[in-house]
Amino acid sequence: MIPVKYNVRNLRVRWVTTLMTVVATGLVVWCTVLTFGLIEGLDHALRISGEPLDLIVLRKGTTEETSSNIDQKVAKEIANLDGIATDSSGQPLCSSEFVTILTKPRRNNGGTTNLIVRGLQDVGRGLRPGFKIVRGRDVRAGVNEVITSENMGERFQNLAIGEKLEINKVNFEVVGYFEAAGSSAESEVWTDLRDLTGARRQPGALSAVNLRCRDEESKTALLKRIREDEQFKLDAMDEPAYYERQMTASIGLKFVGYAIAVFLTMGAMFAAANTMYAAVASRGREIGALRAIGFSRRSILLSFLFESVLLCLLGGLLGCLATLPLNGLSTGTANWATFSEITFAFRFGPTVLLQGVIMALLMGLVGGLAPALRAVRMPIISALRET
Amino acid sequence: MHIFFYIWRNLKRNKLRSTLTILSVGFSLALMTVLNGYMAMQGVWGKEAEKNQRIVVMNSQGFSGMLPISYVDRVASTPGVQAATPYAWYGGNYKEEQMPFAQFGTDPKNAFKVWDEFTIAPQQLEEWQKTRNGCVVDRRLAEKRGWKIGERIPLQGTFYRFNLDLVLCGVWDSPQDTGSLWFNWLYLDEGMRELNAPGTGNSGTIFARVGGSESMAVVSQRIDERFASSDNPTRTQTEAAFAQMFTDMMGNVQFYILVIGVAVVFSLSLVAATAMAMSMRERTTEIAVLKAIGFSRRRVLATVLGEACAITLLGGLMGILIGCSCLELLHQLSSQFMPLSVFDMIGPWLAYLLATSAGIGLVSGIVPAVLAAQLSVIDGLRRVV
Repeated sequence: MIPVKYNVRNLRVRWVTTLMTVVATGLVVWCTVLTFGLIEGLDHALRISGEPLDLIVLRKGTTEETSSNIDQKVAKEIANLDGIATDSSGQPLCSSEFVTILTKPRRNNGGTTNLIVRGLQDVGRGLRPGFKIVRGRDVRAGVNEVITSENMGERFQNLAIGEKLEINKVNFEVVGYFEAAGSSAESEVWTDLRDLTGARRQPGALSAVNLRCRDEESKTALLKRIREDEQFKLDAMDEPAYYERQMTASIGLKFVGYAIAVFLTMGAMFAAANTMYAAVASRGREIGALRAIGFSRRSILLSFLFESVLLCLLGGLLGCLATLPLNGLSTGTANWATFSEITFAFRFGPTVLLQGVIMALLMGLVGGLAPALRAVRMPIISALRET
Repeated sequence: MHIFFYIWRNLKRNKLRSTLTILSVGFSLALMTVLNGYMAMQGVWGKEAEKNQRIVVMNSQGFSGMLPISYVDRVASTPGVQAATPYAWYGGNYKEEQMPFAQFGTDPKNAFKVWDEFTIAPQQLEEWQKTRNGCVVDRRLAEKRGWKIGERIPLQGTFYRFNLDLVLCGVWDSPQDTGSLWFNWLYLDEGMRELNAPGTGNSGTIFARVGGSESMAVVSQRIDERFASSDNPTRTQTEAAFAQMFTDMMGNVQFYILVIGVAVVFSLSLVAATAMAMSMRERTTEIAVLKAIGFSRRRVLATVLGEACAITLLGGLMGILIGCSCLELLHQLSSQFMPLSVFDMIGPWLAYLLATSAGIGLVSGIVPAVLAAQLSVIDGLRRVV
């Protein structure tokens, strides 16, 4: 085997070419990892929103809270069903909620988009993962107040603490920011159920019922009970399935992500091949000498392939590292399932970074193969004679 | 002519290297073509909408707000408005498919007055106006689904509790594929009333055709002022602005594509520059000879820059061809995602992409070119490569 040091030193000697190739492949990997991180962030926000034991009850035929409506009477009957978990005070963890969509402007001329406003009671807070107020305070019922996440406060006009959000000519004051473990609840504005239905002039209206089952067994029973009741005309879905459906939100992004990965990897492969051909061409005599002192064809092939992979991996690592400062950066796009804005944070998890590294590996292997073969095929005599 | 010939010969000297650089530039620019093509498509879509003398009225709170059906007549009677129709998004499921195409409740008497560029056979229109549960669809949709006149089209409501049992009365032709189905708004509303369901009497949005000398902005403002102090204030905008709202919902995609584009261009400049530098290093002696026999610095500079540009331009051309083929393929596969054919959106963006590829050549050629131009003849002839 030819020592690794040989390749490392070679890369160092041609440092200008090496640096340029590393930066070029690094940028390519950066673009791809960036896009995959965006997709991962969006999917993560939706995945974390679904609690396995939670059910969402909707009107039969609908698949989204935003297009569902439920009678109050029916909602009360559901709250009395058997198998619903209770909180410490013995209250059933069953929350009747009203969801409405408003078209509101983003800050910094970001255009208008749709915003989910949810009216709910205290019990609903316990059904969201890790709900807590991080600034200001929670809403008081009856005085038209709202809370939202800090992200939303920064993204939308009139949504920062102290500002007023207008809902059908009624001003709702923003009194606090909450967190919910990065789930999709953080893309919403929350207020009191009655205040919201009052402002929307739909008193008594409900969109959906969220509830937590006591255990797996009662979940199966509750699902069956709610779905099959002729009077209810309702459908129940467990939350992971509900949010799984919404993950179609990232289909467009996924398409873009794969397009970037495929095209740019091809482009970078040719660039790596170019660099390696030049390396082989300028080292004819060296290769001849290596062969002459007894290194096998195979070890020369491996050596050049290794050099190519090393070159691209350096770039790949650089690209992956360069995405890390963006980790957690919040952004948003349209969730076409709910027809409204969803905010989330870039996530460069191990899978995403690994994808970037694999891409770099592929570039190095495929791009370096032809040049390495050329190096191997050189006849010793003519290689040694080369100037 | 001389210099072009020389550049061409130089380019062909190391065929492998030139080909690899061209392929590298080509594939990366293919990606940029696809991304920019998508943006261009939205631009063209918006431009088409600008031509139409149509405005859209919606509740100032957004799509989910109430827009009472009585507003339609009041909009229609506003000076400057020629015709108006309710346009309610039904969003139903067809058989087992979830919302496979767009469905709107509208007014059969006025729909084709508002969309006067759409054409439908008069007897089919008459049939639709007579049939309470009748519907009309875009010809392309009917062909795709294999629907004939008289076909029963059952739709299951999602937002609306009332399920529709529609009969196909006619097909319309429109300049662009709308992929939509229209039915009588009254049929839906009566069904809802019978079920005692909430949300009756809501026209959803109102589309209106503006005529006369006044601008759409003036008429829009007049409509909004009319309803400003009512329970349901309105927001009226042109069809183009309405379409823009959907683009805006995506967020700063444009910025994102720009970031990717800049990164790709920068990376390609490095790739092309490396290749160019390698070529020049091999030709040091030759350039010295050129200068010795009287080539001016400028001329040497031009040859090197010209070669760099030629390579990236060829790559650019290839990339645009690949990219456009991909876009066309997308259009054939899914007209929902990519409603326009590439041939309908040929525009300055293609020239801009080509210019970008030439620009990459210029940038990548600068350092090798200046080095070559400044090479002293003695040094160059003496150097052993």
